[in-house]
Amino acid sequence: MCLLCASNGFAEDAVSFRADVAPILLSNCLACHGSKKAEGSYRIDSFERLSQGGDTGLAPFTAGDLDDSELYRRITSEDEGERMPLEGEPLPEEHVTIIRKWIEQGAEYDAEDPGADLASIVPPPVHPDPPEAYPQTLPITALEFSADGSQLFAGGYHEITVWSTSEGQLARRIKNVDQRTYGLDLHPEGKLLAAASGSPGRRGEVRLYNAESGELVKVLGTMSDVAFDAVFSPDGKRLAVCAADGIVRVYDVESGKEELTITSHSDWVMAVAWSGDGAKLATASRDKTAKVFDAKSGELLITFSDHNQPVKGVAFHPSGEEVYSSGADNKVMLWKIADGKKSADVAGFGAEAYKLETGEDQLFAVSADKSARQFNLNDRKHVRDYRGHEEWVLTAAYHPPTKRLATGAFDGEVRIWNVEDGAQTAKFLAAPGYAKPTEQ
Amino acid sequence: MPISARMLRTRLPLLFVGITIAFASVASAEDRPAPATIDVFPPAVRFDGPREQMQLVITTNYADDRQADATRSASFASSDPGVAVVENGVVLPRGDGKAEIAVEVGGLTTTVAVEVENYSRPAPVSFYHGALAAITKQGCNAGACHGSPSGKGGFRMSLRAFDPELDKFTLIREEYGRRTNVHDPDSSLLLLKPMMKVPHGGGLKLTKGDPAFTLLRDWIAEGCRLDPPEAPKCVRIEVFPGSGRVYKIDDATKDANQQQLCVLAHFSDGSVRDVTPLAVYSSSDEQVAEVAVGGLVTGKDRGEAAIMVRYMEFIESVYVTFVRDIEGFAWSDPPSNNYIDDHVYAKLKQLKFLPSELCADEEFIRRVYLDTIGVLPTIEETQAFLSDSAPDKRSKLIDGLLERPEYARFWALKWGDLLRMTKKAVGDAGVHKYHQWLLRSFQENAPYDEFAREVLTASGSTHVNPAANFYRTATDVNDTVESIAQVFLGARLQCAKCHNHPFERWTQDNYYGMAAFFNRVQRKSASRPDEMFVYAARSGEITQPRTGETMKPWAPEAGEMDVPADADRRDPFAHWLTEKDNPFFARVEANRIWAHLFGRGIVDPPDDFRDSNPPSNAALLDALAKDFAEYRFDRKHLLRTILNSRTYQASSRPNEFNDEDKKFFSHYQPRLLSAEQLLDAICHVTGVAEKFGSLPASVKATQLPSPDLADNEFLKVFGQPERQTVCECERSDDSNLGQALQLFNGPLVHGKLRDANNRFRRLISENKPDDEVIRTLYLAALCREPSEGELEASLSHVAAKPDNRIEALDDVCWAILNTHEFLFQH
Repeated sequence: MCLLCASNGFAEDAVSFRADVAPILLSNCLACHGSKKAEGSYRIDSFERLSQGGDTGLAPFTAGDLDDSELYRRITSEDEGERMPLEGEPLPEEHVTIIRKWIEQGAEYDAEDPGADLASIVPPPVHPDPPEAYPQTLPITALEFSADGSQLFAGGYHEITVWSTSEGQLARRIKNVDQRTYGLDLHPEGKLLAAASGSPGRRGEVRLYNAESGELVKVLGTMSDVAFDAVFSPDGKRLAVCAADGIVRVYDVESGKEELTITSHSDWVMAVAWSGDGAKLATASRDKTAKVFDAKSGELLITFSDHNQPVKGVAFHPSGEEVYSSGADNKVMLWKIADGKKSADVAGFGAEAYKLETGEDQLFAVSADKSARQFNLNDRKHVRDYRGHEEWVLTAAYHPPTKRLATGAFDGEVRIWNVEDGAQTAKFLAAPGYAKPTEQ
Repeated sequence: MPISARMLRTRLPLLFVGITIAFASVASAEDRPAPATIDVFPPAVRFDGPREQMQLVITTNYADDRQADATRSASFASSDPGVAVVENGVVLPRGDGKAEIAVEVGGLTTTVAVEVENYSRPAPVSFYHGALAAITKQGCNAGACHGSPSGKGGFRMSLRAFDPELDKFTLIREEYGRRTNVHDPDSSLLLLKPMMKVPHGGGLKLTKGDPAFTLLRDWIAEGCRLDPPEAPKCVRIEVFPGSGRVYKIDDATKDANQQQLCVLAHFSDGSVRDVTPLAVYSSSDEQVAEVAVGGLVTGKDRGEAAIMVRYMEFIESVYVTFVRDIEGFAWSDPPSNNYIDDHVYAKLKQLKFLPSELCADEEFIRRVYLDTIGVLPTIEETQAFLSDSAPDKRSKLIDGLLERPEYARFWALKWGDLLRMTKKAVGDAGVHKYHQWLLRSFQENAPYDEFAREVLTASGSTHVNPAANFYRTATDVNDTVESIAQVFLGARLQCAKCHNHPFERWTQDNYYGMAAFFNRVQRKSASRPDEMFVYAARSGEITQPRTGETMKPWAPEAGEMDVPADADRRDPFAHWLTEKDNPFFARVEANRIWAHLFGRGIVDPPDDFRDSNPPSNAALLDALAKDFAEYRFDRKHLLRTILNSRTYQASSRPNEFNDEDKKFFSHYQPRLLSAEQLLDAICHVTGVAEKFGSLPASVKATQLPSPDLADNEFLKVFGQPERQTVCECERSDDSNLGQALQLFNGPLVHGKLRDANNRFRRLISENKPDDEVIRTLYLAALCREPSEGELEASLSHVAAKPDNRIEALDDVCWAILNTHEFLFQH
């Protein structure tokens, strides 16, 4: 944060609320003054709430008047029973200075919507570099092929790693990524890579990278907990994102504007999918339901509850009238949008079923029973199983032109398969520099 | 020695002698005797690897046998700080080699030999004994938090880590490994949440200074490693010092009331580790003793407390006693009638409570009738006893009461509760037969072991062998195990059905091991109504639901038992249970009888025996149990012994030096009569019997075979149990508004006062004078004559209503029925 204020060198005194003040509040005050806990009925999770004050009835801050700013008094109090954060170390001197200057300078709000979640207005951070060599492998939670299928993108630690599909060699590393990446999607034109990432419990992000150079193109949005999935609409104009804050957001890719905010789910939303015509969105949630929404209005069309367990993956049937969903009940089901009734049990796994991946007329499902399975998307006929992983298979990506399927597992292993004959063509640990410990 | 002005001022009102005494006591506080010797625990320390520590406990011994904890005042010096150092009484390794720690307190010294090996060898944190122990220590997996069956906030762990497989999944793998971050341990949600770096519904539960923080952080940094299958397992814990120390709360010496505990875990490979910082501590009585997170016990008031120490599934309790000087207290050295008084007085003397005087004869006869046969004495019986001048008249009265037919009927009521004897459960004919069987057992004074064996091994038709109804009221194997545990072992086992008992040693394995004795019991309906056939099948096993293991029959302390394939497994259980030296059997029944007589068990509640709920006088309970077992489990013998003690016969009036005492039996604790006693007493005073359903008119409330044979509103309001559970707590002793209304103007009391044939109306019709009517009522209700004042007040009330003598005497009788003296056993 201080790097940011230091960069405003030309106006040493100009303190920005969104860049300088909000991050201090988020990391020091939110735990007790947020939506989960609102000590003294005071919340700081939006500027509007921050301004309102709590039970004491005193003004938290008054432009230009430190003496009439309860917030400032409480962070600087000598009395440990009063000083915030309670039971914690006092704020460092430089943070107190930032807040003091902001009040002295008029306590202005330099973002647009005063009701907006504080986490969403903070300028996107520059993320730390990934470890040179991984001390441990990381569960593979996101995979995506490059446009020509020669490279494979994989979610890493503070990075997206890029591998040659044929040999499984590390080709390059895309940096400036949040801790973990849970969803990757390549734009239909092949130039942009969308990443749904985050730091568990603290932040979620959706970023667009140049798929070839790895440069950051745009930060579309920030949320309070990790983003699980990001998927481009078939025409490439919109991006649907779902996150652990329970919200589904749809962005206009060109402008970066958040066009739609859907708050219908009551728990994490784990996966999102577009219908072939781009008119509908399907979602899978830890609230044990899958839902379908109108992609223009955001209106809820139907809720499917048959899994009775967290739903992990979702995909549209080519007809646009039915949806596949997978869940912690170990099942993949097909159900109708018209009435929310199940049409068929597609598959039963030996453990939780995760991501559903589609391409051409094929459907792939992966599971904690260490297998991936392929079905015909139209008639849900079982085509083939992919076995060999020694750990839970968490995610998959399919590249129809080259007929390659990539699967990623909990132990960090990626396997590439030829879907024409089911043969495994490559296998590697997507963990740069990781040295497997020698058995003692 | 100078006397300060303040001291003089406070002492001035005292007599001259008083000043001398005060002076002497001040002198002794300042010239406190120096300790004679010191001990250190443990005397030697061996560390294997860097991640070790040892809490030392320094004990000073005084010439008068007193001991004190000097851990915090001792000074320590290491002969080689490169090998080991001591911080706050804790030895920490610093390098391979040998060193000696010199310990000094008040000029006395001793040493601890320390040997450190493998200091530079990596010592990764164990998943189970490190990470899960840390989580348990911080309370994350407690029943109200993430240890609840559905977890909290989407995060679920097993209750106090009883299922490490589940915890492995949720901590390392669930939600893509969201909670632990091996790349950046400090940003693990598992640390950020309890440290309130991100919002946490449970609030602040972990700080950097906690030993648990280091363990959790290191465990994550080391890659969230699991324990190899061959890793040594903890087999037991040891707490030093053990039970029995007595501490004096003394303002002159500020930490004399404190004790640092040291908790050692013993492992299957023979190694021993200090787990003091990871053990979880609680006190059975926070008013007496508090215990801090690090195992430092602090006495708050005189009395006794059990300090429960838990490390993973192992639980140990140590009992501590705190005493203090009470100004003006002098032991009265009362005589003792038998061993009961010896034990009670020893405890009272130690804690400086003075026993009350003996109760008056009027109080004694009322008390002993109610406790032994459930009803009040007749006026003739009372007058005969009061006028008897024999010095052993109380003993003779006790002997006589124990042979009365009402004795068996009244105790059958008590056991009818425990056996859940109801028409609903065993049918109309069934409940009468069951009750007759129970009655006969008490009439014949069947030894308690025979009685228990008869119940537990009962087979056949419930009409032919009514004891078999036990397996009818206990409808399945869970109910059977839980009932037997509560009635005969005094243990509440219900929790262990689904998980290890959170406060007790009972594990889920134990529960199903006990169940293996009883899961073959079969229940078949017979041709006659209300009849059932009970038998033991020759095969059938029970599996532990969590592990899927087939359980062998198991009993506490005896462990697993090998039972011949064709034997009824209940036989070896009943044999084990009723052995003379069984740790539960005699104690539980002796305590139950005690609780019946005193309104409070030595262990209380009387069916909740556990280490963390210690007896208020362990020596007394041991002696009672021993006497009971050695006297062939003769319940009348035990009753007779207790009833003859001065402790039982103590007045209910407290004195200046025992008013605070509620649990050491320094005086008799008054209690409301039970529902049945009260109803019978009202019938007795008014002379109007109550009729119960279709039962014979002579049956009293205290003799009912089952509550559901006669619906009686009065009994229900005063806490008559429905006999749904075997818990003593089902009989409610709460007072409520309904009771007040019943007594004030309820239909029962009202009806009896209006009855033309009631006691005082009969006397009026016999033309008895007012004072005789009033005295008769007092004798019937309270076993005494009215005092002059009472008589005068009653007479003047009657005189004020010359036109309506009956109504006036009705008022007098009503008033007596509403006195505490009538309503209470005292």
